[in-house]
Amino acid sequence: MQVARTAGIAPARLLIPGRGWALAGLYPLVALLLAVFVAYPLVDLLGRAVHSDGRLSLTPLANLLADPYSRRVLWNTLSLGLTVAVVGTLLAALYAYAMTRVAMSWKGPWHFLALLPTISPPILMALSLILLYGRRGLITNGVFGLQTTALYGYWGLVAAQVLSYFPFAYLLLLNLFRGLDASLEEAAGTMGAHAGKVLTTVSLPLLAPGLAGSALLLFGYSLADLGNPLLLGGDYTVLSAQIYLAIIGMYDIPQGAALAVILLAPAVLLFFGHKHLAKATSFASVGGKGSIRHPQNRNPAVRAGALLLCGGVSMVIILQYATVLAGATTELFGINYAFTAKHFVLALTTSRGALLDTIGLGIVASAVAAVMGLLVAYFVARSRMPARGTVDFVANLPLAIPGTVIGLAFALAFNHRPLVLTGTALIIVAAFTVRALPYAIRSAVAALDQLHRSLDEASTNMGATAGQTLWRVLLPLVRPAVVGGMIFTFTRSVTTLSAVIFVVSPHWSLVTPAILSQMDRGDVGEAAALSVLLVVLVLMVIHGVPRLMGRDWRVGING
Amino acid sequence: MNNPTAKALEIRGLTKAYPLPGGRTVAAVRDFSLRIEPGEFVTLLGPSGCGKTTVLRTLAGLEEPDAGEILLEGRSIATLPPHRRRIGLVFQNYALFPHMTVFENVAYSFRIRRTPEAAVRQEVAAALKAVGLDEMGGRLPGQLSGGQQQRVALARAFVMKPDLLLFDEPLSSLDAKLRVQVRGELRRLQKRLGTTALYVTHDQVEAMSLSDRIAVMRDGQVAQIGTPEEVYSRPASLFVADFVGRVNALHGRVVSHSNGYATVDVLNHRIDVPMSHVVGTELLILARPEAVQLRKAAGDGPVGVVEELEYCGDEIAYRVRVGTVLVVAVESALRRTWNIAQGDCVGLHLMQKALHVLPADVQAPMSEREIPSDDSTSMEAA
Ligand SMILES: Nc1ncnc2c1ncn2[C@@H]1O[C@H](COP(=O)(O)OP(=O)(O)O)[C@@H](O)[C@H]1O
Ligand SMILES: [Mg+2]
Repeated sequence: MQVARTAGIAPARLLIPGRGWALAGLYPLVALLLAVFVAYPLVDLLGRAVHSDGRLSLTPLANLLADPYSRRVLWNTLSLGLTVAVVGTLLAALYAYAMTRVAMSWKGPWHFLALLPTISPPILMALSLILLYGRRGLITNGVFGLQTTALYGYWGLVAAQVLSYFPFAYLLLLNLFRGLDASLEEAAGTMGAHAGKVLTTVSLPLLAPGLAGSALLLFGYSLADLGNPLLLGGDYTVLSAQIYLAIIGMYDIPQGAALAVILLAPAVLLFFGHKHLAKATSFASVGGKGSIRHPQNRNPAVRAGALLLCGGVSMVIILQYATVLAGATTELFGINYAFTAKHFVLALTTSRGALLDTIGLGIVASAVAAVMGLLVAYFVARSRMPARGTVDFVANLPLAIPGTVIGLAFALAFNHRPLVLTGTALIIVAAFTVRALPYAIRSAVAALDQLHRSLDEASTNMGATAGQTLWRVLLPLVRPAVVGGMIFTFTRSVTTLSAVIFVVSPHWSLVTPAILSQMDRGDVGEAAALSVLLVVLVLMVIHGVPRLMGRDWRVGING
Repeated sequence: MNNPTAKALEIRGLTKAYPLPGGRTVAAVRDFSLRIEPGEFVTLLGPSGCGKTTVLRTLAGLEEPDAGEILLEGRSIATLPPHRRRIGLVFQNYALFPHMTVFENVAYSFRIRRTPEAAVRQEVAAALKAVGLDEMGGRLPGQLSGGQQQRVALARAFVMKPDLLLFDEPLSSLDAKLRVQVRGELRRLQKRLGTTALYVTHDQVEAMSLSDRIAVMRDGQVAQIGTPEEVYSRPASLFVADFVGRVNALHGRVVSHSNGYATVDVLNHRIDVPMSHVVGTELLILARPEAVQLRKAAGDGPVGVVEELEYCGDEIAYRVRVGTVLVVAVESALRRTWNIAQGDCVGLHLMQKALHVLPADVQAPMSEREIPSDDSTSMEAA
């Protein structure tokens, strides 16, 4: 799917002719891995949802849909998703507009701060919202003296999810706004359209697919979110939380599986809606390169508004992170604000296993995902292997599937024969890898695009051996994109909660579930300390690794 | 000029500098003045980066000038926003709306003005017919070829019957053959509608074939303005001469003068030019390649050796070395009188009527600069 784009390029004989055959030998292995770790768990899950008393039956699903409570949950899920999609897209669009079209100061910091949530566990937002606005929240209780639970429920979830996920939409729209050909708007102006008309007849129609795409993206993130609904949902239960309660709280596996399948339906619909939208409305750029020099709006009112928006949102984000930091360094946030390092000490001792496991398994997964991504990209885009369309489809399937569903499918499928992986590191690495694979493939395609068959021919022609060609020509070209993909996989893996909550075990624990259980126990300080450590870790990887490599990792991801 | 409503454009002292990151600025247009008569077709010709686009964009209201006046039929428009100016602009990349059909693209200005549907249909159909696209109204721009897109852009600009039409290198992304064809269509359309037009290009052939007058630009200023013939035959500077065509710039020195004629020593030979100059004055004699005639036998003119011969189908170009100077001569292939070959010794005759004399300024004569490179490309406008 993602790689089909480059299928038209003549297959490069990667390296020397013989090596092509060596790679071909790996194709069955790649296909088998995809079958076992992507297709099998999903089929297993679907099977559970459509079985009753050992027979094929739609009764479990029908019962669920008939149950008023479940319908409430489904309705809650959809209306939360819709709100987050609309509010988040609006916020992201305004933010992106301010960043691209308004003469504004400090764009660098605004950009950095808006992107900070993309690399933090979403659960962090819930944590800091509770610290600020919860029953003993610094603002609700400390400043206004309120004892309120208003945070828990719909509006708390909207706030947490918008803060967690609007940055992804912002990133998408930022590129869109930047890429919009400025001369189209100028042309409309010279033909008599005033600013408002230009907006409604030219800019908005051209941006509409992107805005819709952003809304679908946010809807999908909202559906898949587990951490915020668990911590902030209160009485407002959504599907992902309901699945968690069914499995962890009631050990009702058939019910959990059926719920997961119900959650899967809108997610898959969204995914294909998104793809269709992208295809149907991507206007081929016409008449050569346009101008991307967009005039900057200098209207004082607009400038003030933009500054207020970006500054305001950035302040809220800073407040979130500062609160978590404060929570991590005070005795008991909300009650005793004395400074202490004990939470960090505790986090580094009692949760040391979780930290080390997270880092170790994250690294392993990013390496595995990079290799798998390269192989799948190569086979699909540059080889003539049979069934490569199916391989492509299966490998990209995880894009459409909420983390909770993947996690549950793994936990259930690998808990019985023929393949029992419960309690192993392998099941965690597999969950990480499968979730990251579509992105790894995207990076790998970008990397392969750097390789034209003439490159290795030229190198060989100049007298290089195959080994020298690999080392001096191909690797340096592929490296930035692959490293970018690896950093992305690592970030995504160590910050996810939904995908791993069902597969962690006493032997192999991870940071995000640890934070959740500390929150459950009321160990707010330790949870905050762990969150801070996680954010610092990810920031170090994102900014440190490319510096060590002397490259900009974004090169790879945008491809 | 058959359009009684055509408007005159006057630009006075237009100046525009762009801010650069780091607080510096780049002067794009400096004290630029130009008057265009109603219905006239004027071309701004100049190398890339000389400020042509900036002039157009300030006229259209897309850039704010730092100084200067823009008068359309005597009325200042400098403070009007783009949509109030009634100035059409054809962009280099066409700027067609990719989400609208060809019909809707052309109809855009009518839709903005809420013109009745029947009138829109009629006008747009006529405009599309005029550019030969009457069948294509229902297509999206992405489904058209480059040449067709270009025609849509032209139709879209012409159909709004603007007071002034601006073109920013509209043909630059077409291939050579199409360029000539669309060029002709563009000129006919403009003639028929009689719209005042300002056209920008860096292609001298395009400029000459289209324009009533050409303004050659250099570094944000007008270097010379005149009819194509004036600019070609009587360039005001070596820069202009070089930019509008190939030229031999020969160094000369006045050796004597009498009743309005100066005798000048060029290539160690004497020619008379209709100008009085003090004896000893350094001059630059500009001779277009077609003003240099070659003779098989040495006559009373300079003598040189043919170093290179370039057969171009319609004409033949010779590079002849005369002492330290390389002279380029061209001859129509059909009128080829002598069978001159490489290495031949030839006599040169400079057609006195076709010569143009400039004071020798700081610039070195072209031919002498040319010697080391031994390549004619820099003599043609790049
Ligand atoms: N938006 C801009 N910002 C900064 N410099 C610009 C901008 N537009 C043009 N320039 C500079 O101004 C000069 C003139 O540009 P332009 O008018 O585009 O020239 P031309 O159209 O003749 O190639 C060039 O040096 C160019 O780099
Ligand atoms: Mg230009």
